[in-house]
Amino acid sequence: MEGFSLNSIELQEYQPNRYPFLMIDHVKLVIPGVSACGHKNLTLNEWYFPKHFPGAPNMPGALQLEAMAQMLTVAITTLPGLKGKVTHALQHTVRFRKEVLPGQTLIIETTVLSWNRGICKGKGIGYTDGEIACEADMLITIPDILDQYLPKKK
Amino acid sequence: MTNKEKYNQVFMESFSVSSDQLNENLVYQSVPQWDSIGHMGMVAALEEAFDIMMETDDIIDFGSYNKGVELLAKYNVVI
Repeated sequence: MEGFSLNSIELQEYQPNRYPFLMIDHVKLVIPGVSACGHKNLTLNEWYFPKHFPGAPNMPGALQLEAMAQMLTVAITTLPGLKGKVTHALQHTVRFRKEVLPGQTLIIETTVLSWNRGICKGKGIGYTDGEIACEADMLITIPDILDQYLPKKK
Repeated sequence: MTNKEKYNQVFMESFSVSSDQLNENLVYQSVPQWDSIGHMGMVAALEEAFDIMMETDDIIDFGSYNKGVELLAKYNVVI
């Protein structure tokens, strides 16, 4: 399938999160079912910087992980018939390597390792200034699809 | 390894249960690990172990250890 880019408005068709929880600004290249990469620009105006932490602002690790998961989601929801579908996290393993600071751009690269029966296994890497800031192995699902395969409770 | 041994191994590894738990009481959501993710992982492991591709209806019907034995027979896997 051919790749394409999504600007900050277009990507919202494929990513249901909204302010203040939309953690990606631009999708540079998404190849549906295969990969998605793009970025999040961080200014001092981000809502979490005043409290995390006063005098030493840095992007919370949970939100770095969220940014990677949102980018991976785009790699799935751009597949035919999945536009706008809600995804849920199932299981993530993440490693943080350096602080992500105001003024930096978090470059996010995600890869789909498998997509089957509503479950996506993938990995993501976040870079700032050319160095790895965070990386994660992720398991996300589209509940609407997963539920179709589950035994019914008696 | 016999089919029965393969079948049991998938259950024990997927759901972290012991061999004495492999009986009619082992059903979907009866142990914490047999949740939605565990179910799909177990199905994938069985498909790999027996080189089969299960149909959607069978994945839904696969609600217990015993039921699985019956369903796999449809794929010529005799447990």
